[in-house]
Amino acid sequence: MPITDYDICPECDLLLKAALPKIGEKAHCPRCGLLLSHPRKRSIERTFALSIAGFILFFPSLLLPMVGVTIMGNVSTGVLYAGVIALFNDGMEAVAIVVFLASILFPLVNISLALLISGHLYFNRYHRYLTVWMRWMQNLNEWGMLEVYMLGIIVACVKLVALAQLNFGWGLYAFVALLIITTLLTSNLDNVLFWQRIEQLRKGRHHAG
Amino acid sequence: MQAKEQGFIRCHDCGALSETHHKLSHCPRCDSLLHARHPHSLQRATALLISSFLLYIPANIFPVMIVNQFGTGEPNTIAGGIVELFDSDMIPIGLLVLVASILVPSSKLIGMSVLILCAHFRWQINACRWTKIYRAIAFVGRWSMLDIFMISILVDLVNFSGIQIIAGSAATAFAAVVILTMLAAENFDPRLLWDNQQNL
Repeated sequence: MPITDYDICPECDLLLKAALPKIGEKAHCPRCGLLLSHPRKRSIERTFALSIAGFILFFPSLLLPMVGVTIMGNVSTGVLYAGVIALFNDGMEAVAIVVFLASILFPLVNISLALLISGHLYFNRYHRYLTVWMRWMQNLNEWGMLEVYMLGIIVACVKLVALAQLNFGWGLYAFVALLIITTLLTSNLDNVLFWQRIEQLRKGRHHAG
Repeated sequence: MQAKEQGFIRCHDCGALSETHHKLSHCPRCDSLLHARHPHSLQRATALLISSFLLYIPANIFPVMIVNQFGTGEPNTIAGGIVELFDSDMIPIGLLVLVASILVPSSKLIGMSVLILCAHFRWQINACRWTKIYRAIAFVGRWSMLDIFMISILVDLVNFSGIQIIAGSAATAFAAVVILTMLAAENFDPRLLWDNQQNL
């Protein structure tokens, strides 16, 4: 049997006959129960579309005001990036950098990489950095924390409700939309399929040239 | 029986298989370094975990944020913030913060310690159950950043002449605990648990 007919569970190292689940089905490791693959319908097209939408939505959610508070006649508005600046000015540089990376840079890089990769696959173009992009995207995925940030907004608002008047801006609606898009993006992106397509593109290029 | 003993290596990044006897150093598909197990998995995880244990102490003792109201500063520790939420009858949100910033970090620290001990001393355990515990630890880790994000929002929003919220020194320590335990979980290789089991 050729080596491609086998698979190994990444968490318990069990050698398996490669499962070929149909679209919508799931393949689990029989020994430790890890989800091995879960092919999605039109994964490349959907990833491409969702990453375009996410990339566009990123800018309003970064730049438009999200929450406005009024305390004793004083008004202030919160923007996604302003928390980073405020922490920096308070002398909390380390925390500011962590917040910047987890809530701004990594989500943006992730969406951009998904856009680049799925764009190349959609148009059947090979690029010699495709594998590097894939590796970066997989490793950064855990470090973008938009959904945790959303929960942070909710808790902050609950804490402020007692002493301030709150109103919500377009930035917050854009942020919620961005959150939905990135969640859909991660669930529609089929890593197994992407790696197979990248390998096909590379081989095709070698045969042609 | 482990795939490693049967002569196969799985690429950590792209999942492609290669045979050990070819003695490849890089994955033929994606060109990343091939390792049968994460290199120095236990040493790295232990080092990161010990640092997070140490940082966990200042993270809980010192205030994470200080509310300055008309010149008098009121320091808030992580636990104090939760008590305040409970006192003002916001019980669901209080529970949420309790889970995210106290239960999750402490159970992560304990869980990772047990996992590392299991792998190091080759204890005969239910590897399936502990792999699932590992998966849960790796999954919930990021949610502890909730407190840090909340502080960054409050620091920005509440900055008036009469009332100000500033971040306290524990915020740095707490952020470091979250990041270091996430890195510890990432470096720990659950396959080590399975390697040690004699009756598979």
